[in-house]
Amino acid sequence: MEILQRLGTRMLERLSKLGQASIMWGMALWGLPRRGDFGLFVRQLYSIGVLSLVIIVLSAFSIGSVIALQFYTQLARFGAEDAVGMGLALVLLRELGPVVTGLLFAGRAGSAITAEIGLMKSTEQLSSMEMMGVDPLRRIVAPRLWAGLVALPLLTAIFNVVAIYGGMVVAVEWLGSDPGGFWSGMQDVVEVWDDLGKGTIKSVVFALVITWIAVFQGYDTEPTAEGIGRATTRTVVMSSVMVLALDFALTLGMYGDFK
Amino acid sequence: MEIPRGKITGIMGPSGTGKTTLLRIIGGQLKPDSGRVLVGGVDVARVSRDELFELRKHIGMLFQSSALFTDLSVFENVAFPLREHTALPEDSIRDLVLMKLDAVGLRGARDLFPSELSGGMSRRVALARAIALDPDLLMYDEPFTGQDPIAMGVLMTLIKNLNLTLKTTNIVVSHDIHETSAIADKLYVIADGRVIGAGTPAALREDESELIRQFMHGRPDGPVPFHFPADDIASDLLGRAVA
Repeated sequence: MEILQRLGTRMLERLSKLGQASIMWGMALWGLPRRGDFGLFVRQLYSIGVLSLVIIVLSAFSIGSVIALQFYTQLARFGAEDAVGMGLALVLLRELGPVVTGLLFAGRAGSAITAEIGLMKSTEQLSSMEMMGVDPLRRIVAPRLWAGLVALPLLTAIFNVVAIYGGMVVAVEWLGSDPGGFWSGMQDVVEVWDDLGKGTIKSVVFALVITWIAVFQGYDTEPTAEGIGRATTRTVVMSSVMVLALDFALTLGMYGDFK
Repeated sequence: MEIPRGKITGIMGPSGTGKTTLLRIIGGQLKPDSGRVLVGGVDVARVSRDELFELRKHIGMLFQSSALFTDLSVFENVAFPLREHTALPEDSIRDLVLMKLDAVGLRGARDLFPSELSGGMSRRVALARAIALDPDLLMYDEPFTGQDPIAMGVLMTLIKNLNLTLKTTNIVVSHDIHETSAIADKLYVIADGRVIGAGTPAALREDESELIRQFMHGRPDGPVPFHFPADDIASDLLGRAVA
């Protein structure tokens, strides 16, 4: 009986948190921007987008080259080395690009957003802003949400390009597969909407979810050192799990008919 | 409780009696469990979010922790409310900010960042920021804590002068009896969530009630216990040895 009660309380708590988070998200995203807000947005775009570039580029290169390596060794057994480019592009554009970029983004930018907002809360900066008649949802939260929404799809595109380049370096430059086959195979099979478009949709969805979680965890953090630590961890864990789960759901929904 | 317009009202009481909470309720950040707070005739707990933010433009608050924006310089911190709420040209903002900073003696510190300031200095920067928009109502949360005697004197004069020249309504929450008595027109003493005394500083000093006497004269023994509730110290210390 007691277990049921506790379960119920927990559920209600979770639900009310979800409600709060949705209200906050809505108010921040649809709040009217004001003069000077574009500057704030650009600053956030820099700190969560541009500063994530290094980790994205490095991971993309190694992931691309490692996939090419594995594909090449398997496909070479059937004399189908030319298919490396094709497989690489499909795997990256449809799945690995959005997912891996999302995971890296959650670790690099999501955690930073949570920690920053959490610290602002615990040092009363958010309170004092409110008392000055400035809405922190507009000044602090909205620029981060929008910047994440723009940054992640762009980072995903960069990830894909660099990973394909990494694969090309391995398959063509190093293992000596035919460059013509590599590129033309890719060109034959990749569709603008089916592969690029759907991959981009995925990354937009991931961006929404990650920034939403990160911002809310920061805003809702318990204003202590442990609280901020816990909130940051929760951001990374929750958004990673959400990215993976949503990826499966989106793949099922968009590509359908697997059986 | 009534806070007279254009006067300095001191709210005093032992730590943990809800003085800061009271200020937050007045500013509309917390909703009262019961009762109403009217600011200029408006019930702050009932107005819409937009109206509340509009109302807050006329309220300045000095936080106990200063709450400066750590990513902005001293100058930008003070300029923040001006940039947010006015469309003043850059040179007017500069002049205003420098005047406010000069009033708290920190014009020379304009390019420093909050992390480079001492506690007392950041409190003064926060004060300069709170008065940037010349608010009608100024709330000070423990303005004197952590100030050296010189800065303390300057702050007291500053609060008094702001009140005289701008006719600002001031609420000073503090447990520094002497300083608060010296500048306040009216004092409230609260303890255990209740108002236990009200009146001019002189009247309160003469008050006969045990509680107020204890507080006004700073005695450890009296109706308000100095100790947080605990067992008898002898049994607490010896208890483990016996067991």
